[in-house]
Amino acid sequence: MRFSKAGLPSPEPEPRPRLCYIRNSVDAILTTGLTRRFGEFTAVEDVNLHVAPGQFFGFLGPNGAGKSTTIKMLTGLLAATAGSMQILGLDLSTNLVEVKRQIGVVPEGMALFGRLTGSEFLNFAGRMYGLDRDTAAQRAAELLDFMELASQPKKLVTDYSHGMQKKLAMAAAVIHGPKVLFLDEPFEGVDAVASGTLKAMLQRMTARGVTIFLTSHVLEIVERLCTHVGIINKGRLVAQGPLDELRSGVIAGTEAAHGPMSLEEFFLQTVGGSRNAASELSWLG
Amino acid sequence: MNPGSAAQLRAITFLRARLFINSLRSVRHKFNLVSRIIGAVLVVAASLGGGFLVAMTCWGFTKAGRVEFVSLVCWSIFLFWQLFPIMASAFNQNLDASDLLRFPLNYRTYFVVRLLYGALDIPTALGLSWSAGVFLGVLAGSVDLGFWALLSIGIFVAFNILLARAVYVWIERWLLRRRSREIMGILFFLAVIGFQLVGPLLSRYGRAASRTASHLPPFLLGVQQWFPPGLVGLTLAQANHHWYALAGSSLAVMAVFTVAAFGLLHLRLRAQYRGENPSEGERRHEQTSPASVNRGWRIPAVAAVITAVYEKEIRYFSRSGPLLFTLIMPLVVVLVLWGGQKGFLTRQAGYALPVGAAYCLLLLTNIVYNSFGADAGGFQFFLTSPVPFRQIAAAKNLAQLTVLGLDLSILWIGICLVYEPPKFPAIALTFAWYLFAIPLNLALGNLLSIYTPKRIDYATFGRQRPSESTILISLLVQMGSVALGAAAIAVARMRSNIWIATVSFLFLALPTVTAYFVLLWRLDRIVMRRREVLAAELCRA
Repeated sequence: MRFSKAGLPSPEPEPRPRLCYIRNSVDAILTTGLTRRFGEFTAVEDVNLHVAPGQFFGFLGPNGAGKSTTIKMLTGLLAATAGSMQILGLDLSTNLVEVKRQIGVVPEGMALFGRLTGSEFLNFAGRMYGLDRDTAAQRAAELLDFMELASQPKKLVTDYSHGMQKKLAMAAAVIHGPKVLFLDEPFEGVDAVASGTLKAMLQRMTARGVTIFLTSHVLEIVERLCTHVGIINKGRLVAQGPLDELRSGVIAGTEAAHGPMSLEEFFLQTVGGSRNAASELSWLG
Repeated sequence: MNPGSAAQLRAITFLRARLFINSLRSVRHKFNLVSRIIGAVLVVAASLGGGFLVAMTCWGFTKAGRVEFVSLVCWSIFLFWQLFPIMASAFNQNLDASDLLRFPLNYRTYFVVRLLYGALDIPTALGLSWSAGVFLGVLAGSVDLGFWALLSIGIFVAFNILLARAVYVWIERWLLRRRSREIMGILFFLAVIGFQLVGPLLSRYGRAASRTASHLPPFLLGVQQWFPPGLVGLTLAQANHHWYALAGSSLAVMAVFTVAAFGLLHLRLRAQYRGENPSEGERRHEQTSPASVNRGWRIPAVAAVITAVYEKEIRYFSRSGPLLFTLIMPLVVVLVLWGGQKGFLTRQAGYALPVGAAYCLLLLTNIVYNSFGADAGGFQFFLTSPVPFRQIAAAKNLAQLTVLGLDLSILWIGICLVYEPPKFPAIALTFAWYLFAIPLNLALGNLLSIYTPKRIDYATFGRQRPSESTILISLLVQMGSVALGAAAIAVARMRSNIWIATVSFLFLALPTVTAYFVLLWRLDRIVMRRREVLAAELCRA
């Protein structure tokens, strides 16, 4: 996989590829009755996810809904209390190492080694995923250029800005060419220019068949990038399907009278939020 | 101060109290409270005991008519008051002023907060009580000097408080940069090592040193009188001779110093208040050419992933000032042994290698028993990578052995220079003990790294301490293995055959080497069971 800027798609909005949801092929991500409890508290309850290969799947939910817990379970960072998980047809409980080889992860905490330089870290990441020394070095150099992290080669990761660390974490997650990519809030703290670069790279990856599972609080990003969406609220999956169908109300059976809703409207309708909560503040006038 | 400022000060006091109370929710902080209580008892004892001693000394000087000697006591108080906070600040990442400045504080409130925020610390408490001791001692010696003592000590205290805060905020500005903190830490550690060598060097060269000290230039004694600690004694001496105009002028000079300290503090705090943030002012070294990344290391016959983790560990170690410092410590041991002329070990030079080698292993305790601590958030990377933890732990152990090997080489050179090259029986004894003790330490180290992990920072001095339980267990293991070694050597010496100890260690090595590999093999299962606790402890910000 090469990451040259010249080869990137134009920034103009391009028609989003309508990926078919083929149930009889092996799901990229499949969970059945996925549940996680912390003592008395149930963070995730009976979640059944189906994500087909090549989908750009946005996983949404209010704060504390169970998004990060789900993504942690799917990437092996957290054990499930009940239920099963399969990635690319491999059961996580019996094939964890093989699954890890196939996936890339940008977790919530970014998982960086602060006292390495960016190039040392990427090189290290490549070799941990089984790339040979030459390939790891070559890909690390390309990714550093692509992510615009090459300008200060001696700078330690701990001295990077938050946005730079996000980009580095993303680079480390894709260096081995994963088939499924899990991204927990990948655009948080990333500037508009870098965000554009990352989005273009992710779109190009899905066009090549990579499945992306992304959580984000920014609905505009999900709306622009994702083909499919799942919404989790209070630990339960309350909606799942192609973005267009969800917005038009086909899946919920409440087809919108005035054309398709925005994702924000659909999201608020689904999780029961209200835009006018501010009117309840007595002192605001 | 307007009512709004007073409310803000109350809110900040409340915040500090709440932070402290909330911290007590965790067991670790409850243990810390116990150590704080013990510390407080010690501080009170040092305040009262030190204050009493100071009072007695000043009373003696005043009674003997040598009230100017009070300056000696004041210099001691001054040096402690100013130097202790500087040393302590080398350990800490200090309060970011912007934490307070985002609130609508006026400058006066901000100044008061910064003056008080930390002014009620150990050096201030001790400095205040010892200064009170000076006053009471002089007063008890001569009631006539009470007024002048009150004024001069009062100004001396104000000067110390303002100067300590001024020096602190100026150093704080410097320490906001990571590299500066590291340099400061290294200087501090050098000072600590220097103190360790004072005893042995004095025992060797004590007489010659005292001859030099007696020729101290007399002008230094004159110069000291022009600084606040000296001016206290000078004021009292002048007042004692009824030269009140001169005593008044001495007080005025002290006041000038105090105003200057106030000015220094004001200058810095004003800049902070106006929004200066030097931590963001790092110079940038931009590179415009395409990135070139060196290929990773390759170690023959070692798996690529183990080599990758090994390389990462060595890079971490090489960027850790405190760890690099451990490389000097074997030489310090050799010098300490050599300096103590009448010690058992200097008469038995053959034991310098085993003793030094045991010390080298001891130096690695922090990194062996908390080997994931410095990875911090990077630990999640290990969890998501397809590499078994037994390989990661093996690579870490290999890197730790490399540091030990380096330590041992330096020790060897030191011994060769100071004594003579170690004899073969001593070498065999050392390596047989290592064969027993290293696998034992590594096995338990790997286990405790998973069961009692603690996030640490290799780069900052004072941030390498593992958890309290790890310290306790590792100490017991170290003491046990050293005691076993000492017992075996004692038996061998009684039988006049050192090889008995060597062979005993080789036998003892069998179970420890087996235990190491068995544990390594089971490490993945243990990590998977404990991954949530590990991630929570190591990866939290």
